[in-house]
Amino acid sequence: MSKNGYLQIHDPLKPKGHAVGIDLGTTNSLVASVIQGKPRCIAADEGESNLLPSVVHYGKDGGVVVGARAKQLASEHPTDTILSVKRFMGRGPDDAETRKLGAYKFASGGKVVRFEVAGGQPVTPIEVSGEILRALKRRAESHFSGRVEQAVITVPAYFDDAQRQATKDAGRLAGLEVLRLLNEPTAAALAYGLDKGSQGTYAVYDLGGGTFDVSLLKLVEGVFEVKSTGGDSALGGDDFDRAIAQRVLEAMGQSSPSPTLVAEVLAASRKAKEALTDVPEVELTVGSHRQPVRREDFEEWIRPLIQKTGVVCRRALKDAGVTASELDGVILVGGATRVPAVRRFVAELFGREPLSDIDPDQVVALGAAVQADLLTNVDRQDEVLLLDVIPLSLGLETMGGIVEKLIPRNSTIPTAAAQVFTTFKDGQTGLDVHVLQGERELVEDCRSLARFTLGGIPPMPAGLARVEVRFQVDADGILAVTAKEQSTGVTQAITVKPSHGLTDEEIENMLLDSIDHAEEDVQARQVRQQRVEAERVLAEAERQLGEHSALLAEGERPTIDAAMTKVRELAKGSDHHALKEAIHALDDVCKPFVERVMNQALTKVVAGHSVEEF
Amino acid sequence: MKCWNCEKDTVGRPFCPACGKIAARPPGATHFDVFGLPRAYDVDVPGLEKQYRELSLKLHPDRFAQAEAKERRLSLEQTTALNDAYKTLKDGTKRAFYLLKLQGVDLEREDAGAQKDMPLEFLEEVMELREALDEAMEAKDLDRARKMGAEVEGRRKEALREAVDTLRTLETGVPVESSVKKASHALGRVRYFTRFLEQVEAFEEEMLA
Repeated sequence: MSKNGYLQIHDPLKPKGHAVGIDLGTTNSLVASVIQGKPRCIAADEGESNLLPSVVHYGKDGGVVVGARAKQLASEHPTDTILSVKRFMGRGPDDAETRKLGAYKFASGGKVVRFEVAGGQPVTPIEVSGEILRALKRRAESHFSGRVEQAVITVPAYFDDAQRQATKDAGRLAGLEVLRLLNEPTAAALAYGLDKGSQGTYAVYDLGGGTFDVSLLKLVEGVFEVKSTGGDSALGGDDFDRAIAQRVLEAMGQSSPSPTLVAEVLAASRKAKEALTDVPEVELTVGSHRQPVRREDFEEWIRPLIQKTGVVCRRALKDAGVTASELDGVILVGGATRVPAVRRFVAELFGREPLSDIDPDQVVALGAAVQADLLTNVDRQDEVLLLDVIPLSLGLETMGGIVEKLIPRNSTIPTAAAQVFTTFKDGQTGLDVHVLQGERELVEDCRSLARFTLGGIPPMPAGLARVEVRFQVDADGILAVTAKEQSTGVTQAITVKPSHGLTDEEIENMLLDSIDHAEEDVQARQVRQQRVEAERVLAEAERQLGEHSALLAEGERPTIDAAMTKVRELAKGSDHHALKEAIHALDDVCKPFVERVMNQALTKVVAGHSVEEF
Repeated sequence: MKCWNCEKDTVGRPFCPACGKIAARPPGATHFDVFGLPRAYDVDVPGLEKQYRELSLKLHPDRFAQAEAKERRLSLEQTTALNDAYKTLKDGTKRAFYLLKLQGVDLEREDAGAQKDMPLEFLEEVMELREALDEAMEAKDLDRARKMGAEVEGRRKEALREAVDTLRTLETGVPVESSVKKASHALGRVRYFTRFLEQVEAFEEEMLA
């Protein structure tokens, strides 16, 4: 979209290293690549989980921590630790989604959501997502021992233009050339389709942490044609957690809970939700508050949310012109589809048992890796092609606040449309253009993407100037609008950025900052990481010592105290090797004590308690 | 058209026959030209679908992800035109409107004179239909709205058949002004009926939600 380009990453003479597929999820993110002909997810280390929790922690010293370690810091630093940042992509501060139950502090003013965090300026969701992408890029680079500069990043099919723009900008911030934004359900189908060589019409039901999507695809002779798509970009498994959390807060009598409490209750609710997949009842614990939660009740609380997905599925079937019985299969994607009530609902809605043989957490990333390979590997170019659609109609404001649709939803992309407007006053030299996205008729019910005035129209009598406004949607589903005055041959073209996005200048500044950041000493980053680890280990040791001092053996306390002092001292310095060793040493001296604590706890275990708490 | 790369004639093909590079779209190419089809109403839709897939496989921007900016732009232009052509030609109603547009009457434009040209009796009839539907909607009477929808759907089909028959006569020889007008009136009716049916559908959705 940008004429000048941000910083020129694209240089045809430079080898680009490996291309990867990235699932930038609400809860977890993954990076995958085609390795020896097969898509595989890349773990941080051999034997570790592929999932990188989509959590970014901002420390007081300006350090940034991403992933599992950041997640551990969430309950202690609820406002400095951003979870589920995807929910805020491309959103304004006044959006309903921004105001849902959560623990964040938002900076006031501006068109873009900004989180107030420790250690510096407020950060935008684009920057937070950029940190996650950068962590994944580093992970892939360490796996390949080489550079990774090109990526396919997945987005919910139902993401609007502003949300897509924001995702692409985050990729750029992380130093990635975004080869393609790929719709998540389409990615899932790609992962399934290539493995099985299927032909036919499939539905993909994708319920992630924060978004819901459904797509209907037809697979014929290597062409994946998306027939229709629908969804709700503000509905997901997080809302299931919230449904539990609300009841818990009510039961606790907390009408205006602190951010820390909200974060704790949400975390406990998520645990309870996950446990209820396997057992009919769990006991939820927050501090001293204990509350049994039965699967039956949980299913009752989330029923309205699940039913919302049914309405969307029926509309997608209708848009595709197929009935449920004509489908050849239904594919489940997203962690929230593990909830038994969701599976039952999908089976009933489509009249068949859904497929879930590829891990629903990994399938999107695997599909993205396949697409990245198709886009960069010349040998594979004749095999498979994806034809995707635009999820929401695009239109312009006309007289009386009515939206006139120029491109209807579910049009195959790339696509374009034009509309000619005439001036209504004598001598009028400017024309207001308001671009909207959505299905509703009135301007206030649609998403405002851009508003601009086309100037420089030569003065002439009303109705004589003819201005053609043209929409071009590219293969990423991103819109460019141009306007031209035709009657005099004077042409003027304008490219717009969405209202809820960042300006090119803002992106460029962030990009420059992030490059400084990337070139920072690797050692400094490791010191920061070890400091965070030190903080965590010290806090844990203090807690155990405080609660279980009776279990200490004779002479044990001074040894532990000495080890703790050493960690504290080294955390102030910059030798991360020494700090790491001190942390290990502390771990070692605490081990016998912690084992005693665990043994005692195990003998006391009641239903609903897990060993993981210790 | 001269090829941008080797300067030989591309003879309107998507790829230059001489050097094989993706070509620019010839100015004034119609949706029928995109598929190399004659400008006629009858189209073999399964054949069109197959051709669409084959052309997409060659022209899509995904095929040019690593190519030069110039080729990427041409791929975007050609695929955009291909998608537009396919969408129009695979649908019998859209195809009819497009053929009429090629005869110089564009009914899809809001300010088109042809729209104001509809016979008065018809416009009065449409007004009555709309009022009856409004009443049914106010009374939340889904059955009555559906019944009206079914009847209008019959009339829409009939009007489309009349338009298509007339358009077929226009395929051979010089355009006859009276025939163009006849086709334009018939499609004008299709347009009104389609809008009516959309309203019924929106009402149905509202009632079922």
